[in-house]
Amino acid sequence: MNLSGKEPTMGLVKKAFLAFALTSLAAALARGAETKIGYIYVGPKNDYGYNYAMDQGRLYVEKNMPGIKTLAFENVPENAEVERVMERMVKGGCTLIFPTSYGYLDPALTVAGKYPKVTFMHGGGFKTAANLGTFFAGIDDAMYLAGITAGSMTKTNKLGFLAAHPIPQVLRNINAFTRGAQSVNPAATTTVVWTGTWSDPGKEAEAANSLVDAGADVLTGHVDSPITYTQTAEKRGVMVVGYHADAGKFAPKGWLVGAVWNWGPMMARIVKSVQDGTWKPGHIRGDLMAGDAGLSGFGPSVPAKVKDLVLAKEKDFKAGKAKLWMGPIARQDGVEAAPKDSLLAMAKLEGMDFFVKGVVGTVK
Amino acid sequence: MSEFDTAFGGFVISALRSSTPLLWVLLGEILTQRVAVVNLGVEGQMLAGALAGFAATLATGNPWIGLAAGVAAGTALSSLHALLCVGLKANAFAGGLAVWMLGFGLSAFYGIPYVGQKINGFRAFTLGPLDHLPLIGALITQTTPTVAMAILASPLLGWWLYKTRTGLSFRAVGESLSSAKALGFKTSRVQALGILAGGAFSGMGGAALSVDYTRNWVEGMTQGRGLVAVGLVIVARWNPYLAVPAALLFGGAEALTLRMQTSGVPISSHLLHTLPYLASLAVLILSYARANKKGGTPAGLSAVFSQSQ
Repeated sequence: MNLSGKEPTMGLVKKAFLAFALTSLAAALARGAETKIGYIYVGPKNDYGYNYAMDQGRLYVEKNMPGIKTLAFENVPENAEVERVMERMVKGGCTLIFPTSYGYLDPALTVAGKYPKVTFMHGGGFKTAANLGTFFAGIDDAMYLAGITAGSMTKTNKLGFLAAHPIPQVLRNINAFTRGAQSVNPAATTTVVWTGTWSDPGKEAEAANSLVDAGADVLTGHVDSPITYTQTAEKRGVMVVGYHADAGKFAPKGWLVGAVWNWGPMMARIVKSVQDGTWKPGHIRGDLMAGDAGLSGFGPSVPAKVKDLVLAKEKDFKAGKAKLWMGPIARQDGVEAAPKDSLLAMAKLEGMDFFVKGVVGTVK
Repeated sequence: MSEFDTAFGGFVISALRSSTPLLWVLLGEILTQRVAVVNLGVEGQMLAGALAGFAATLATGNPWIGLAAGVAAGTALSSLHALLCVGLKANAFAGGLAVWMLGFGLSAFYGIPYVGQKINGFRAFTLGPLDHLPLIGALITQTTPTVAMAILASPLLGWWLYKTRTGLSFRAVGESLSSAKALGFKTSRVQALGILAGGAFSGMGGAALSVDYTRNWVEGMTQGRGLVAVGLVIVARWNPYLAVPAALLFGGAEALTLRMQTSGVPISSHLLHTLPYLASLAVLILSYARANKKGGTPAGLSAVFSQSQ
């Protein structure tokens, strides 16, 4: 295009204005490219579970940080497909990518090796690269608090826990929940049912029904989405404690409280460090104290007395006055896992492979 | 009410509930295989039915309309199988796989906005004071329409297949296409009807799962139940009367694995989860030992298998 023919008619002011407009546009474009962030989820972002919680983090970043654009891909399987999605995000101008599912770690390392200028923050992994770090948070304190609520509210002293697979993170939640319940109600026990899969609503409904038939009057679980067991609990007229996100709308009567993630602030800090150039590869780990995990709102049936009890304990956790994995901790069979006044070893916590006393079920 | 009654009543209803989606699909696949066509696409048709049922229930607030939409979606998808297998004489296994993949992909894609939505299912049955009777009480209050309808559908279909002229046309076509043709049956039409009926029933099975059983839509939520039903057709010997026990065998074993855990039986859950498959396999082996002498497989269907060998 030749603009020279028009040049003589263009005044100095106009020229200056055009130059200004062009440079600001270029700057805006450059800035836009700097802060385009990609999010990848293994399941649907509206499942009221893990992916939903991650997506809430994305929305928080978008809402609270100016000039940020985010891209989200859901239902991306943990195979070569996720590499293609990451490549697409890089080519689309993303400078920071959150591959949020555990199985994305190795594909992310591969793609990170190809694009050294893009930062990758993986959810929950234990590997790093020059441009790849990880983030996660411990939610067991919140699960303990939810356990206090359940232990205070149960009338049958039987709590039901639906879980997918006996991996350390799931066992930690079951044990934290049970210890919380027993701290206020030593007669309370948690019955565990393994569904053998992260997502099979049919099996989850039946597992929930079995627990109710066996006398459980508070249900909770650790599967992809809490919707099915929450609704089944409501249908059967029992109470429910949530996990991952606030699913109270699926059980208006029976909802007690939920242990939920709060990824927004942590993600915002990560984004800021990437923008500032202060980002370094490492493992960022948050917890209840830092506000990365916590409790959802209480349901209408929880009396003030119970709320106070839970909130007081939350305060103690946050102040560092109470420690969840402080001994004495006994295993299901009575064998001591941690003696009085000593913390359960970190390695034992990360690789948890046992039930605490008060859990009914088998680990293997 | 004694503890045994509660536990037993709970188990019976739990087995019925677990078996119901399977039973619908099984009845449908029996009809399809009766006209000498195998349809592996039932898994996809179930998913289409589950999504359509959930979406229609959400839109209208009426679970009955949801079930109808599920039936319609299953039928619509199966018409592709009919077109491929009957119209174009394509290989039934390839056609079925195509329908399965299409149903899976389409339902996953169009299902995204329905994830995390809330629907209201059927209201529970009640007989007032009778609800508290041992055993019967639990059966009544926890039985849902799709469970009751599936159990009624089985003998109805059995009667239809063995006692009516249209039922006879299905059996005739399944035994020998050429003889049926010679006898004046419109074989292509009968085969297409068999496939569409299978589609309607599998769509119903999917809708029973999403609208009634779980009141939830999740991508791929049938989790192989459609394919299990294809296998259970052999266990049921292509006989609608035997569909209920065949479905109960699998669904009951599944319910049992969960109940054994809640009652604290110390067995590995990994082993327990194989129980439904082991039970079905055991019955299959036993029934084969007899069936090889007595038969039960539509002759036209056996021909399909021997051709493909």
